[in-house]
Amino acid sequence: MTDLILWMDQTAAGSATEAAGAKMGRLAELASIGVEVPRSFAVTVEAFRHQCAQTGLLERADELCSPQALDGADDAVVAEASAAARAAFVGTPVAEEIRAAVAEAYEELCDRCLDINVPVAVRSSATGEDSSSASFAGAFDTYLGMSGPDRVVDAVRRCWASLFTTRAVAYRARRGISHRDMPMAVGVVELVHARASGVAFSVHPVSGKADRVVIESSWGWGEAVVQGLVTPDHIEVGKSDGRILQHVVNSKDVVSAFDYAVGAVTEMPTPERLRRRASLDDEQIGRIVEAVREIEDHYGHPVDVEWVVSGHRRPGESVSIVQTRPVTVAATAGPAAKPGWDPLAFAAKYAFGGKG
Amino acid sequence: MATVIPIDEYITDEWYPGFKPAFDHAPFVVEPFRTFSKEDEQRFWFLDFHWPRGLTPMGLIWNEDGYSWGTQLAAETLPLPPGRGITQRIAGTHTYASPIDMTSEFEIGERAARMGEALPGFLANFDTIWASRRAEVERWWQHFRGLDTDALDLRGLSQMLKEARAFHKRAFEIHFEIMYPLLVNYLGFYGACAEMGLDPGQIGKFLQGNDTKIMETDRELWKLTTAARHAGLEPTFAATEPERLAATLDAAGGSSGAWMTKFRDFLQVYGYRTEGSCDVALPSWIEDPTPALGTIKTFLQKGDDHDFDKAREHLLVERDEAIDAARSRLTKEEREVFDAGVASVQAANFTWWQDDHNYYIDLRVSLPLRWASLAIADRVGANRPDDTLFLFWPELTAVADGEKSYDDLRGVVEDRRQYFDHWHERRPSMPKVLGTVPEAVTDPILIEIFGLNHHFLSAIEALGSGTEVKTLSGIAASKGVARGIARVLNDADELHRIAPGEILVCESTSPNWTPAFAKIAGCVCDGGGSLSHAAIVGREYGVPTVTAVGLATVVIKDGDEVEVDGTNGTVTVFRAADIRAAE
Repeated sequence: MTDLILWMDQTAAGSATEAAGAKMGRLAELASIGVEVPRSFAVTVEAFRHQCAQTGLLERADELCSPQALDGADDAVVAEASAAARAAFVGTPVAEEIRAAVAEAYEELCDRCLDINVPVAVRSSATGEDSSSASFAGAFDTYLGMSGPDRVVDAVRRCWASLFTTRAVAYRARRGISHRDMPMAVGVVELVHARASGVAFSVHPVSGKADRVVIESSWGWGEAVVQGLVTPDHIEVGKSDGRILQHVVNSKDVVSAFDYAVGAVTEMPTPERLRRRASLDDEQIGRIVEAVREIEDHYGHPVDVEWVVSGHRRPGESVSIVQTRPVTVAATAGPAAKPGWDPLAFAAKYAFGGKG
Repeated sequence: MATVIPIDEYITDEWYPGFKPAFDHAPFVVEPFRTFSKEDEQRFWFLDFHWPRGLTPMGLIWNEDGYSWGTQLAAETLPLPPGRGITQRIAGTHTYASPIDMTSEFEIGERAARMGEALPGFLANFDTIWASRRAEVERWWQHFRGLDTDALDLRGLSQMLKEARAFHKRAFEIHFEIMYPLLVNYLGFYGACAEMGLDPGQIGKFLQGNDTKIMETDRELWKLTTAARHAGLEPTFAATEPERLAATLDAAGGSSGAWMTKFRDFLQVYGYRTEGSCDVALPSWIEDPTPALGTIKTFLQKGDDHDFDKAREHLLVERDEAIDAARSRLTKEEREVFDAGVASVQAANFTWWQDDHNYYIDLRVSLPLRWASLAIADRVGANRPDDTLFLFWPELTAVADGEKSYDDLRGVVEDRRQYFDHWHERRPSMPKVLGTVPEAVTDPILIEIFGLNHHFLSAIEALGSGTEVKTLSGIAASKGVARGIARVLNDADELHRIAPGEILVCESTSPNWTPAFAKIAGCVCDGGGSLSHAAIVGREYGVPTVTAVGLATVVIKDGDEVEVDGTNGTVTVFRAADIRAAE
């Protein structure tokens, strides 16, 4: 049953999104243009459908969470329905043919990584028109550092269940979208051993200035940065000449690191010696900027990316890109209405108390 | 709800005794000045810091030629899109100024288009334009220097008086013709820098280090200081009050007399300036050298010699470093904007012109009027040499033309002197602003020179709502932090009250305050932007300075301990006065 599993390096970018969801689809697209991405496969939409068909889970979810059922419901009712639907998905064993296919693909991934029980990130990758919008950002689960076929299969099941997080259910109910319109694929992605990671923007996220790349970076995995648990280092780089304009090193008090005892990535206090040390050097910054520019050029619109510098990476090698999205901030043409020094434009803007 | 400061106290037709202004008694372009009426409460009025003593009737000519004519003509000619210049109301002898707003959006658009045609040419040809205007001012000036008031009869003095008035009026046409476009360009650049994330506190540095006529004067004063020290005059200077220095040094003879000869040579070149801006009541240094001798006395107290060449070299190095540091943070595209912008504001350099024009215009423009007025007083046998300064223009010209006898005005002059003194005493208790506080002021001169920016306006709002103000904010004008005892001064006259290491708190400073910067630890001003006098001198002397604080002279009490943070633009008041009271 090969259509239950899709390898991201063996699929055309367009068809990947349909079968593997938006998140994995973009990863496949990045791989197709030569950007360094971690090795990965997707447990497809077809697998999700198969699981539902075998178990009657969708019908159960219809009863609990359809837009009709929740029309005008208050928050407590939505939360209860979401919890019941999640519990149903988590509590239903994975169909044997899916379990076997995932386990087999995982073994194959270990093989490709030349590792045994390679740690992976198991990521929800929903489909449907709205699934990539900002409203769903962070609504679905990701499990970092899973290893061994049983834990990976279990994480896949929990990702399916996260289609019914309270946030996702409430949003769909408000918008009249059915969960049937956004079946859930799940990505199983080699966990790059992160020395440092973070996000990068191809425009300034606040001012919208398109002449620079803005990087936020911290030690370890990117969860602490993405969740805002840590004040990351802040770096701005001129997009056209790659010159570093600003490099602010902050005290990075929390780090997302691999906890071998638990077998997962967790947040912990950063060792004192690392807190005030720059988490990126100039060479690494240069390669991140290169990747961001390449991705922006490919899509033709501003993007943000999540990147990882592997602990095994040597200078000159690429950095890994684990995620990319369109940036929602409105890009500006530059500092002035017209490019260059235009005394009249600046005077109109600033010489008359903002009322020129 | 907008904050409104009632103007009722100042609504009156009454003015200087014995004079009712006729509508056409003074020139204006858009709006003449007058006394307050109730509808003025809708507008925003700001107590002008230039004349802390108040203005005599002849002194009020500045309001006519400067504000009603100069600013309004320049604002209409350039034109400024959202404003038509500055008008003013008289409260006794004091001036409240207000912008004349343009409210029609259509007209603002039309005016912006016209300014767009005029501004680039002005900026490109600034050097030529200013050189030509300076030459014109110099021709007028040489003309008046060539007149001997002792030799002129009343008819001749009448002629001189009218020419002096024409010069005065023309000088302020030039003054604002240059000032508005320079400021417009500077404020545009300032905004562009802020937009590019540059530290606004650094922007003034990009424009520093160019020699001006005022700096030339300071250099000569230091040379005289060194000469005084070599001549062994230090003890005399230390023991003598500035007012008595000239007489004492003259009487001493010997090396002292020789030094005085040098000093008088200096005065012949640099002494034709008043101690304060544009006031016919102020004598020049030639007439009364006390300010110059007082400055030398202060310089001697300071001890070491000031190396001007080294200081200037340092300013230039600092300028280039500030520009390099700013550029290093900019993208390639931004650097193109910044480089062209810096080139533009350096070529049409507002900071430099601010100092330079004070020498050519503000500090001497009223002298020919003063000379003619004083000579007329002498010819008509006035009781005191400056009695004619208490006549209004129509009265004085009538006297000079023989149409009116001075004897008819003798009594009223005495009344007016009392009126002047009365209002001089009232000044410290007068509100800094009156009427309706706006969200923003659009006139570039009021924004930058008077510091009516959002810091100032929000400080007024805070006080209006009864909020206790402990930390004041303003413009970070000169970097560094200093803590010391506050001396709240109303006038440069009181500078002797400041001891070394104290913090100067005042409405604003002008060139005659400069010597104080050699001894103060910090400076706080109600008004003034990053290019105001206090800001420029603060940076040159390395004195932490915060301007545009709004109500510093009201909130800070003399003797309070204050901390001036010139890097971040904040002033923290430690209520020492209250603590003492509690003990």
